[in-house]
Amino acid sequence: MERITNLLGRAGLFDDTVIALVLFFLAFLVIVLRVYSPSRRRQMDAMAHLPLDDASDDAAKPGASR
Amino acid sequence: MSTRIETFRYDDDVVRKFLVATFVWGLVGMLVGLLIALQLVMPSLNVAPFLTFGRLRPLHTNAVVFAFAGNAFFCGAYYSSQRLLKTRMFSDLLSRLHFWGWQLIIVCAAITLPLGFTQAKEYAELEWPIDILIALVWVVFAVNFFGTIARRRERHLYVAIWFYIASIVTVAILHIFNNLAIPVGPFKSYSIYGGAQDAFMQWWYGHNAVAFFLTTPFLGLMYYFLPKAAERPVFSYRLSIIHFWTLVFLYIWAGPHHLHYTALPEWASTLGMVFSVMLWMPSWGGGINGLLTLRGAWHKVVDDPILKFFVVAVTAYMMATFEGPMLSVKSVNALAHYTDWVIAHVHTGALGWNGFMTFGMIYWLLPRLFQTELHSKKLAEVHFWFATFGMILYATAIYSAGLTQGLMWRAFDQTGRLQFPDFIETTMRLMPMYWFRAVGGTLYIVGMLLFGWNILMTWRKRPRDLGDPIAHAPALEGRYRPEPAHGGVFGLGWHRAWEGLPLTFTIWVVLAVVVASLFEVLPTFLIRSNIPTIAAVKPLTPLELAGRDLYIREGCFNCHSQMIRPLRWETERYGEYSKPGESVYDHPFLWGSRRIGPDLAREGGRYNELWHVRHMENPRAVNPRSIMPAYPGLLTQPLAFGSIQRSVDAMAMLGVPYGDAISHAESMARQQAHEVAARVVEQGGPAHLDDKEIVALVAYLQRLGTDIKAATTAASTGGADPADEGGAH
Repeated sequence: MERITNLLGRAGLFDDTVIALVLFFLAFLVIVLRVYSPSRRRQMDAMAHLPLDDASDDAAKPGASR
Repeated sequence: MSTRIETFRYDDDVVRKFLVATFVWGLVGMLVGLLIALQLVMPSLNVAPFLTFGRLRPLHTNAVVFAFAGNAFFCGAYYSSQRLLKTRMFSDLLSRLHFWGWQLIIVCAAITLPLGFTQAKEYAELEWPIDILIALVWVVFAVNFFGTIARRRERHLYVAIWFYIASIVTVAILHIFNNLAIPVGPFKSYSIYGGAQDAFMQWWYGHNAVAFFLTTPFLGLMYYFLPKAAERPVFSYRLSIIHFWTLVFLYIWAGPHHLHYTALPEWASTLGMVFSVMLWMPSWGGGINGLLTLRGAWHKVVDDPILKFFVVAVTAYMMATFEGPMLSVKSVNALAHYTDWVIAHVHTGALGWNGFMTFGMIYWLLPRLFQTELHSKKLAEVHFWFATFGMILYATAIYSAGLTQGLMWRAFDQTGRLQFPDFIETTMRLMPMYWFRAVGGTLYIVGMLLFGWNILMTWRKRPRDLGDPIAHAPALEGRYRPEPAHGGVFGLGWHRAWEGLPLTFTIWVVLAVVVASLFEVLPTFLIRSNIPTIAAVKPLTPLELAGRDLYIREGCFNCHSQMIRPLRWETERYGEYSKPGESVYDHPFLWGSRRIGPDLAREGGRYNELWHVRHMENPRAVNPRSIMPAYPGLLTQPLAFGSIQRSVDAMAMLGVPYGDAISHAESMARQQAHEVAARVVEQGGPAHLDDKEIVALVAYLQRLGTDIKAATTAASTGGADPADEGGAH
């Protein structure tokens, strides 16, 4: 453990945290591009309706046929 | 593609169970909260050792976080997941194991915390056997949840499910790594991390426990139940996706903002601040998305208590997530840290966001789960107003208390001296606000009682046979093929494929969390210059270690910090600021996060032994205005000398250089106890304390911060250099 600590301490690996920042930002950018792609509007609308598509809530309410 | 329609039943029984547990534990947790609020204005309410503030405060936080909010999350997740995935839960047996296992954990917490069994880490106080139980029950939940996803009939995973997945996997990672400890007994352990490293791990965990136990699960609930209640889809599904990924990317980095100006490396503190400020964007994006879901339906809010609860919940989310980044800015944090401001911030989130989301969700669920009308909509309205006024009163009082505290602590008079040098003066100024807080909390609890009555009466009106609801859905095609229009890297159809492949999706979530965690945490562990050691700092003696265990048992860290920040108003009041190297042997760290009483980092030698004995026996005897609980039992209870060797051995296993104490801990402890007790007698105190717990606690308190002082004295007379920071090069 002592050797690993010394080795990594001298390697300066963690001085390059900017790499992590760039990677995360790129991933974020890709997701934004994908989400706001105009061709996906219809698909997004369909997904937004998923919670409302389920009729079992009404079935469970009083007076509904079961 | 198959068009075969399948018929199946949802398991609502487990949802009903979690619903009832949410109410019961919520009420218990809030009542304990009220009791400890009253103990601050009436110290006489600390009527027994197991009912003192220091032991009950973790019970309150654990009960409201893991019992109330936890059960609420499970309740909503079990209901919504089945509907969104169009299938029954994977296994009824696992559902019941999850439910009863979680309740067992809560009962274990309710027993062990008042008994003083604690790891002394906020929101992670529970000792190692319970931690193992939590891990097992969490695995049961995860298997059941992912099993349900695997046999779903809806290809796309709605965004609420994403939030649940992120919560499940991240909480597992946080829980396991923060709770790694060496057991010393059946209910006693020492964290494997020490000092600044332990602080780092703890607040990596602590902040993300808030993020992934109180925020992302409830955002999942918001994205399901708010559209259901408003009877319209979420305002922007695109924004909800951005909300999700941005939270996952950013949240995990923000923890170090809990440790500004402490002995944490500054780069880590700054990193935490920057990521916290960035969190403003997704949090408000998500909040606005929630509120705009009501666009065109605001007229419904007037008549619908459920929507009222949701509107206040989302508003509280936005307030809390505006305030959180603001508090993470170092200059603001310098004022707010250790004060009641943080308590007010937490309660805006807990009472407003988690509480109101839960109330709205349960009122919406009640008619559906019990297949009858809600007993009283009017009563739900009354509940809403009680809870709202209670929360406002609570928050107003405690924000005022926090600002008052912070400003009084840092006030200097015209001569450049502290304007309020006596800490108790700043405490006394808060008493009216503490009373108002108790009134606000009482109003909130009255609302809870009305809530309970509504649940009970609705339950009583249920039909005799509460069968599981029947649903129909086409069977899912066995193999997923993404739409050709979105195929290829640039068409970004691959992300669509992720959403249809939960395992791959989950792996990416885990990767985002783990990579961020490693980049943040590893340098503190692996680069020695981050935690410079100090040659003058030695391990505690065996007796002092036993005293430290008593300090932990009584929960002293809940009110007293051991971390002097390098700010003039702190060094003037408490002495030289704390260095990272001073706590390298502290397993766990005891820096604290709140000052109901003064900081104790340099307490050693400030008073004599007898003062400490009298103070612990009855704080009002030495300071008539003190609000600290009395601990007369420490003067009569025998010290467990027999277990000291085991504690020393465990510390030695963790790398604490104990030298001779490894084989003579008990005799060394007895010798020092005899010396401490003799000094108490010399100072005019009671005799025969040699074998009592008080001598260990006094020995520990008298040691605090003295290594640096001793080194300074030695240096001034030609001795060792106190700043001999061995690892700084």
